[in-house]
Amino acid sequence: MIEHLNPWPFINGAYGISVLFLAATALLTWRRLRQATKRLAQIEAS
Amino acid sequence: MQSMHSAGERTARGNLSGRTQGGWLHYFANPGRFARFTRPILPWLGAVSALLAVTGIVWGYAFAPADFQQGDAARIMYVHVPAAWVSMSGYAMLALCSFFSLVWRHPLADIAAEEIGPVGAGFTFVCLVSGALWGRPTWGTYWVWDARLTSVLILFFLYLGHIALVRGFESRERGYRAGAILALAGVVNLPIIVFSVQWWNTLHQGNSISFTGSSIYPSMLYPLLVSTLGFYLCFLTLVLARILAAIMERKTSSLLLASAERDA
Amino acid sequence: MIKPKTRRLYMLSALLLGFGGATALALVGFSSSLTYFLSPRQVAAHAPPAGETFRLGGIVEAGTVQTTQTGESLTTRFDVTDGQAAVPVIYTGILPDLFGVGQGVVTIGALEPDGAFHAEEVLAKHGSTYMPRDVAQSLKDAGKWNPKFGPAPGPDALGSPS
Repeated sequence: MIEHLNPWPFINGAYGISVLFLAATALLTWRRLRQATKRLAQIEAS
Repeated sequence: MQSMHSAGERTARGNLSGRTQGGWLHYFANPGRFARFTRPILPWLGAVSALLAVTGIVWGYAFAPADFQQGDAARIMYVHVPAAWVSMSGYAMLALCSFFSLVWRHPLADIAAEEIGPVGAGFTFVCLVSGALWGRPTWGTYWVWDARLTSVLILFFLYLGHIALVRGFESRERGYRAGAILALAGVVNLPIIVFSVQWWNTLHQGNSISFTGSSIYPSMLYPLLVSTLGFYLCFLTLVLARILAAIMERKTSSLLLASAERDA
Repeated sequence: MIKPKTRRLYMLSALLLGFGGATALALVGFSSSLTYFLSPRQVAAHAPPAGETFRLGGIVEAGTVQTTQTGESLTTRFDVTDGQAAVPVIYTGILPDLFGVGQGVVTIGALEPDGAFHAEEVLAKHGSTYMPRDVAQSLKDAGKWNPKFGPAPGPDALGSPS
């Protein structure tokens, strides 16, 4: 008796976590960089 | 010997360290100079990384052929393998920074080590989860305690330990020192991960790609290489951006501190 | 007079070499317990005592797969071989998708007094070769199939994805 699993939920999960991770870290990093730039500019201007 | 505070101040006032410390290494490793080099290339690097990663992922997901043995499940390779390689290379970079930090006490190496940690841990997590999701439809199990899977889990814990250690001390300097020692001790795990599948019997298959060639058919190898390059560049972009942000954050706090001292 | 950073460089290098060496020795020492499964040859040489659980890994030998149904449950018998020795395996339950003749498997169970390995779990181990199905088919048709790729495609490979 051989189990025939539909692989697609697993494939979608693996791709999902990868894309989610890349997108989320990119977004967080971009926001941190923008925030740091803004704050430094503020301090230097004052 | 210099404290992080004085390093921050030096960066804030201009780039004196290039003058106070000689050597080409110090010339390029100066935080202020690093920031000036990195800032203009970052948007381009980000665009190229995103383009390559998206191309590799879409190619692997939708266009690469199914495997003769594993069928569509083998598509997980196009995210699992790049994530695994980036996790290991990221750890090698972390260790290299730790070495520079311990021997030359360089502030940029400390900042880099601190910023590599979370990104590397994230890629390792992706590698572990995608691997588990690959194991279930092919091997019949999400997880086994074979040498390959266990050593990658140890890599994940090394990253987590480094993240905690670097941030866990009252004095930043001591945290960097402790983190660097952990990171360097953990380097022995890298050859164990790579060669585990040759040294011991494992459920995990052997390495498909070695210095002498690959056992992946070209129509599946090309998307894998594109995806790998994309993941590497994503890692590089993320780390560079985080280092840049960290340098600016330090500059901001040292300027704030200086102005507070002036006002007092 | 030795510079502090040179001293740190030497000390750290010595420390890392020592640590690396110690780890290497420990790995060599514990090598047998780091091995995930035993091959039929290893089992033939020193069989673990009957009833002791261990993992057995190898290739499903052609012509040995037999399935018998008793009520709801299916029992599969097959030999696991490494080309030099073979161990008969009895397993009741669902086999993974990739299970088939010529396919690598890792089975978890124990040798019983009847001389067979009674498996509680069967996992499929696949090779590190990846190629499209049409390429695999044409390699097989041209007689250039290398058994190290895994089982050749075709109807004879039990359970091969259709």
